[in-house]
Amino acid sequence: MTEQNQYLQGIPASPGIVSGRAWVLSDRGEVKGRFRLLFTEEEQAREVDRFQTALDQAHEDLTRIHKEISEEFPEHAHLLELHLLILKDQMLCDEPLRLIREERLNAEWALDQAFEKIKELFRRIADPYIKGRLADVESVYRRLMGNLSGNEPLRSFDTPDPVIIVARDLSPAETTQMANSKVVGFVTERGGRTSHTAIMAQALEIPAVVGLDNATGEINSGDDIIVDGLMGRVILNPNAEVREKYRRRQVEFDAFKAEVARFCTFSAYTLDDHLTRIFANIELPEEVQLALKSGADGVGLYRTEFLYLRQRHLPTEDELYEDYKKVVEAMAPRQVTIRTLDIGGDKFLSNLEYPQEMNPALGLRAIRFSLKEREIFRIQLKAILRASVHGQVRVMFPLISSIQEMREARRLLIEVQEELRARGQDFDPRLAVGAMIEVPAAVTLAGLLAREADFFSIGTNDLIQYALAIDRGNKQVASLYEPLHPAVLRMIRQVVEAGRAAGIPVAVCGEMAGDPLYIPILLGLGVDELSMNHMSIPMVKKVIRLISYEEAKDMARQALDMATVEEINEFAAQEMNRRFPEIFRFGSALAGSF
Amino acid sequence: MNGKMNTKKSEMPVVERELWVENRLGIHARPAMKITNLALQFESDLVLEKDNVAVNARDLLAILTLDCPQGTRLVLRATGSDASEAALAVCQLFARKFGET
Repeated sequence: MTEQNQYLQGIPASPGIVSGRAWVLSDRGEVKGRFRLLFTEEEQAREVDRFQTALDQAHEDLTRIHKEISEEFPEHAHLLELHLLILKDQMLCDEPLRLIREERLNAEWALDQAFEKIKELFRRIADPYIKGRLADVESVYRRLMGNLSGNEPLRSFDTPDPVIIVARDLSPAETTQMANSKVVGFVTERGGRTSHTAIMAQALEIPAVVGLDNATGEINSGDDIIVDGLMGRVILNPNAEVREKYRRRQVEFDAFKAEVARFCTFSAYTLDDHLTRIFANIELPEEVQLALKSGADGVGLYRTEFLYLRQRHLPTEDELYEDYKKVVEAMAPRQVTIRTLDIGGDKFLSNLEYPQEMNPALGLRAIRFSLKEREIFRIQLKAILRASVHGQVRVMFPLISSIQEMREARRLLIEVQEELRARGQDFDPRLAVGAMIEVPAAVTLAGLLAREADFFSIGTNDLIQYALAIDRGNKQVASLYEPLHPAVLRMIRQVVEAGRAAGIPVAVCGEMAGDPLYIPILLGLGVDELSMNHMSIPMVKKVIRLISYEEAKDMARQALDMATVEEINEFAAQEMNRRFPEIFRFGSALAGSF
Repeated sequence: MNGKMNTKKSEMPVVERELWVENRLGIHARPAMKITNLALQFESDLVLEKDNVAVNARDLLAILTLDCPQGTRLVLRATGSDASEAALAVCQLFARKFGET
């Protein structure tokens, strides 16, 4: 009996819950991976044909070789005769055909099963000489497998029943093929939150779990599985109770999604007409469509590391320009905020020699790296400037911790503008330049920094990490990571006030900005723009539209009056549960997972 | 196991013979091939039985995996129009020790 309710943990890649039959795809050339169940009679007929063709071909080949063999080698000829007889054997020929027709196994799987049965029979043989003949059977088996792999058809994803695709990895071509099929979920071994698979699943609005180790080993074609794209979990062989639990959760989540989706097209006005701009965070150019569909007013954080990490060589100015242009054009006339390279020397390209750092979070990264590797930085700035003529572009520098860094970065920007002018290339001369506020030093200096910047963007993930000295990736202290910590709220207030005094907008672009739990307080603190994963946009808009700015300010005041994070958390949760119970239920899971 | 069996055949002549494996190496690949090739020349169904396990004499791997060393006793059952000729031919093959020693 198979084990029930096996929980496999991966990374959530597309929200939602779905249950169904698994369809395991694996890489070509790996026998195990080519096993799958057949779903239609056409498929069965095709597999029977493939197997027959493989048999015919083997017969033809062996007969030809037999003829070519000189009579001087009777032993070899005998062996070929033996192989020809094995090829006609019921157990190796008829049994696979039966398995294809009755058990719906594909040709490879059926052949393998038949061979396994023969092996089992040989295992019981006492006579070692006869036992040794298994080697001949295996030789014929291999020949047939080889013939089969030669005529493997292209994968087709048209199935009559809904299936969940389980694969090591899915190519963009494969995911595209699935767009109009009965594929209701994805599970992959590779990939992260922003992999192509994740983005494709989000676009298709089907649940997906990625980064699940050994998924193709643990799950077999035909297995019953539940994919929980909210928690990043797969449940193998669920029993009736678990199935029912997830079915209810699925119904609730689908209702929730449909409810908040109504808010996509609205602007985020409060009940008393205070407007907050809602932006999307993106990483890949493909995400632009998702951002637009979710109702983003622009891109508040365009992460640019991807292009540097996906290839071995440094991207050229033209390559970067093409990518940026794609995003800027697609979003126009909406604003696109491009963050310059936020990466550490240690995880950078192999052709740059940097020593391993003891503490990379406090090391050579982000703007520090860019100011050290100036040529890399200048190339990126030129590409951003050139893309700026195609729409509305802003640029921002990550991890600013001093006035000097901000000035130096701006000076380089002016230098490359001269270079572009000399080349006769166009750019937006009034390109807005922002400072990311992620280091406590930048908070303290916010008043001075505001004179050097056209806008602020608070990167709460890093700011919380540095302010509270908590590494979220460290399980020992992860629970101490608190977005509503009194110190964090005071820092945000200080930055907003500095921005307001200087007349520049203040954005929040960390994960916190996409979690509805924190929205009323961020709103009340006076943040002008919120930038988040596209999936959070509808629910954040809903929260803002159903609250007044006065109420939000009052909530922020009350939160600031509380001395401990426990009190503030309790207060925020109560308010959210009272006003938006359905969002309270799914909102944080959704925001926290993506 | 035997797909060729049907009601019509059940009315046909059935011939049973006792066989002994007398060659030194027993029914290894070569004798099995000879049995199979011989069985393919007749219309009748030929079944070899050892200790209540019956296999089709046209089925090479089934004969091999029946595991018949020297001294094994088998029962041959031929069913079909040419049952007696087939039975005779198989008996002769066994008696000639498959052309071995």
